[in-house]
Amino acid sequence: MTKMSSVKLSIITAICIGLCVVLPMAFHAIPNGGILFSPMHIPVLLCGLICGWSYGLLCGLAGPLLSTLITGMPPVAYLPPMMVELAAYGLVCGVMIKLVRTKKLYADLYISLMVALLAGRIVAGIARALIFAPGSYTLAAWTTSYFVMTWPGIILQLVIVPAVVAALMKAKLIPEWYPAQD
Amino acid sequence: MRSLPTGQYIPGHSLLHQLDARVKILCFFILMAAVIGASSLWGYALVLAVLALLILFSRLPLRCAVAPVRRISWFLLVILLMNALFFGGEDVLASWGIFRLSYGGIKQGFRVVTNVVLILILGNLLTMTTLPTQVTAALESLGKPLKFIGVPTEEVAMILSVALQFIPILMEEAELIKMAQTARGARFESRKLSERAASFLPLVVPIFISAFRRAEELSLAMEARGYRNAKNRTKREKEPLAASDYSALTVCAFICLLQFFLLP
Repeated sequence: MTKMSSVKLSIITAICIGLCVVLPMAFHAIPNGGILFSPMHIPVLLCGLICGWSYGLLCGLAGPLLSTLITGMPPVAYLPPMMVELAAYGLVCGVMIKLVRTKKLYADLYISLMVALLAGRIVAGIARALIFAPGSYTLAAWTTSYFVMTWPGIILQLVIVPAVVAALMKAKLIPEWYPAQD
Repeated sequence: MRSLPTGQYIPGHSLLHQLDARVKILCFFILMAAVIGASSLWGYALVLAVLALLILFSRLPLRCAVAPVRRISWFLLVILLMNALFFGGEDVLASWGIFRLSYGGIKQGFRVVTNVVLILILGNLLTMTTLPTQVTAALESLGKPLKFIGVPTEEVAMILSVALQFIPILMEEAELIKMAQTARGARFESRKLSERAASFLPLVVPIFISAFRRAEELSLAMEARGYRNAKNRTKREKEPLAASDYSALTVCAFICLLQFFLLP
């Protein structure tokens, strides 16, 4: 993989943070779009995959924070658990994409994404159970809020994120990971 | 989408508007602790009185200050019901299958919802009286101790300020793409979940392509002008805190102490 300069990585992270604010607003025009499809997760996952774990972590922390400051959504009371969840997505995505090398772009992407989506949900559940709602958070509530209610979002993220990465590579906006393949 | 929802900055010259952003953020966290620490009616009466005074001092319409609560009222009802029906405990009032309505659950539900509402209004007051750029500068300033554990606070602040400047451009771009895709027959309003999900792909991919193109252009322009990192950048000297800032911090700290140590 060709390396991108630190300036470009910083600007891509900034753009992804900006998209964390803009995408949910665009999706709210679609009925229940925000709740069903979790659009804020997409830029964070992409940032982790493209820029690495440290930038992904920052995007996961700053994206929801800035969205709350500018649009009031997510509400302040739900901001800390959401920041933990998204930070875990960005961090794990960045770590996994460094570790997983199958020589196949889509295999790398899907393995990293699925591990990150699961790890983020586990971290968020643990954070809620131990810090944000100690004593009143149950396994049933975790399963309902992170899997049952958000399954359309999970599927959409698994479809959209690899498609966006491939489109960005095709447009030569990010370096190709396996140039010999094409 | 062009008009921003609740929580956005409303210009003004009130006491709250004039306070330093660093102080407002610290006060927000102190008062949030006071809300979480409230365990009796007197405790909630105290935080309610403080909140009423803050709304008065902010000179913002009450309707604006409580607007986010109205927006998530259904969500709050769900939280209340979930606590009331699943909390458990010995004092069960009624039960239907897996649902157990208990006095403890109702009490816990009301407590959680009240805390959420109070913190929501506090956060809303912070964002409505502080410019986002002031908030990022304040966060950079408050985050300075993080430098000791290796966090590049200058770079983080640069990323946040670039993100803030990009938001209006990205919003315009997203709006344009949405209109273009609607003209091409995308069915965003469809009742079918599968059609709604399918309409996302032609919306999201062009938004990302266009955003990354802008990122490419900006990073090239920055590098061409010799920008290497945020560490060596100079900045305007931060103004020292005024007497009113110190007074606000002292009052908030006193309220928090009152909540934790003096009230029953």
